[in-house]
Amino acid sequence: MRRKSRERARWLCQKLAPEDYARFCDLKINDLGFGYDPFGLEIESAMLAYSLAQYMYKYWFRVESFGVEHIPEEGPALVIPNHSGVLPIDGFMIAIDIAKNMRKPRIMRAAVDNFAGFLPFINTLFYRCGQLVGARRNFEELLRRGELVAIFPEGAKGTGKSYKQRYKLRPFNVGFMELSLLFKAPIVPTAVIGAEEQYPYMINVKPLAKALRFPYFPVTPFFPLLGPIGMLPLPTKYYIYYGEPFHFYREYPPETVHNPDTIRMLVGKVQGRVEEMIEEGLRRRKGIFGFSLLPFRRLLGAGKGGGPREEVKQLEAKSTSEHHHPNARRHGSHTV
Amino acid sequence: MSKKNASPSGASASEKRPKKQKKNVLITGVTGTVGSRLAEALYYDKNVGVIIGVALGAKPYYFNQFDERRFIYKNMNILKSREITNLFVSSDFVEAEINTVVHLAFFNRVSGGREIESHHTLNVEGTKNLLDKCIENGKITKFVFKSSDVVYKIRPHNPIYLDENADLNFDPRVDPWIKDRVDADMICRSKMDNGRMNIVILRMSNIIGRMVSSQMNAYFDSPVTFRAMGFNPLINLIHMEDVIQAIQLAIHKNVRGVFNIAGADTAPISTFGELNQSRMISLPAPLLGPLNTALRKLGLTKYYYSVDADRLKYSLLLDTTRAQKELGFRPRSHVYFEKTSE
Repeated sequence: MRRKSRERARWLCQKLAPEDYARFCDLKINDLGFGYDPFGLEIESAMLAYSLAQYMYKYWFRVESFGVEHIPEEGPALVIPNHSGVLPIDGFMIAIDIAKNMRKPRIMRAAVDNFAGFLPFINTLFYRCGQLVGARRNFEELLRRGELVAIFPEGAKGTGKSYKQRYKLRPFNVGFMELSLLFKAPIVPTAVIGAEEQYPYMINVKPLAKALRFPYFPVTPFFPLLGPIGMLPLPTKYYIYYGEPFHFYREYPPETVHNPDTIRMLVGKVQGRVEEMIEEGLRRRKGIFGFSLLPFRRLLGAGKGGGPREEVKQLEAKSTSEHHHPNARRHGSHTV
Repeated sequence: MSKKNASPSGASASEKRPKKQKKNVLITGVTGTVGSRLAEALYYDKNVGVIIGVALGAKPYYFNQFDERRFIYKNMNILKSREITNLFVSSDFVEAEINTVVHLAFFNRVSGGREIESHHTLNVEGTKNLLDKCIENGKITKFVFKSSDVVYKIRPHNPIYLDENADLNFDPRVDPWIKDRVDADMICRSKMDNGRMNIVILRMSNIIGRMVSSQMNAYFDSPVTFRAMGFNPLINLIHMEDVIQAIQLAIHKNVRGVFNIAGADTAPISTFGELNQSRMISLPAPLLGPLNTALRKLGLTKYYYSVDADRLKYSLLLDTTRAQKELGFRPRSHVYFEKTSE
């Protein structure tokens, strides 16, 4: 951005997010002399993106988060969430949540799918907001510099899950574990509830995906039927849970990266924890949109039979009490 | 022999310390911007003895200031095998006891103000012949080849910082300008373990400066610069002083291998365009090629979009960790764009 554009971006952030602006002014980047860090992050772009996206965070997805104090305030750290929802809006919401609710805000650097690098505007937006394509070297460098990194170990397979397979985790890739051991970065397991339903993905049009070089081309009940309007995500309510961090590097030396069985075992522990947190989150949430649909279903006549869909419905129906997660402070804002 | 400052062991302190042998350097392509600046820097370098500079054409006026006992100019085509042989057996070469070669001679698209076709055979075979002759000579202990970061393959999913082991651009459809560079680079690498001579390859990022015939220089010199709409990659610019510093370090240090050399200035391409006060216009990428061709035909630009079109879309920066550790290279100079108005 030019100097004047940066001033305008700061002014806009001050107007749209006055309570956060002062905190963000304290954020420091490794400025190379032109207002950009070595990976293209520009504070003003990140501030602007935050100021605009926070409305989606507050009013569309009405994000509530728990356990953000588990994220280290400084030094290298890895946030490891489940990934879902066709578009990486979950990553966006986690980044906003961290910037908003941490006592000392941090900029989360997430691994973006390779295909995003091909896309004009999207490519630049991601880099300016601190997100990078998922080349391992990028994240080695970031962790070496003590940054907070988010890696989605399910990758595009996570976001490309159909609606029937929602909340069933794909096998985690092991790269994040190797990074954690090599750079002594704590792993914060994170569960995101609500992203799976924002785009109820029915089928993947593979030929079209291949032609456009996308990992998948989703068809939902609304897209492409309703055209561009169908691309709007449903206003599902987001819940983000940050678990107690794992410090495997205290027990396992860096040489462990050469032992695939141990790595796979450690990754299994993290995946297991995320699965537990997802189950717990599903059990406790009132409904996909933040309220229970059960009375409406009863009015219309509920469907018969079992299966994963029925299981999820039963879990939702069990949740009758006020939404609460033990041993964690509740964050997030929502209109009541 | 008189003894001065004799130590108890019987030898003087200065005699104990072996004298550092001066470097006697052959520079090919000495009339280029890099070559001429390097010749000047080495002429005033206390650790350099004789310099032989070779290039095509008559001796330029700016070499007249140099003492002919220390700087010898030869008008020849170093990329032709016969001429290399003649040079190596000439009395000037033998008496100078050349022990270091810096190979800068490379035909570019724009040479001496004229557009010429790529001379792949000369560039690549010539480099190979020169390298072979240097190894055969037996007295040459260092061969420094100035390469470029264009040898790396630019892809959107590359790491932002590429180290020396990153993939090179072996695409057969690549522009001949890049193909020459990659082939010459690979030839130098293949001879790395010759056992007689240390080969150093310096892969430089975009060199910016007056009279430098580089792509980025030509890009920023254009009256109108076009950007790929939606993309704003990070680029690194290196000052000529740092290029010379890197080559001098490669000459004097006991090193061999490939080194990435980057400058002190890294920013998005638009930032440098603003500093240069360029008229930057963003257009969809498919339009840039035809527009560039039209501008070149009109003589409005020397920039070749087709050579490295991806550079206007995706970032490629060099990881210089190895150069910092082994060469001790640190960029010192910033690129300044001349302001035409306040």
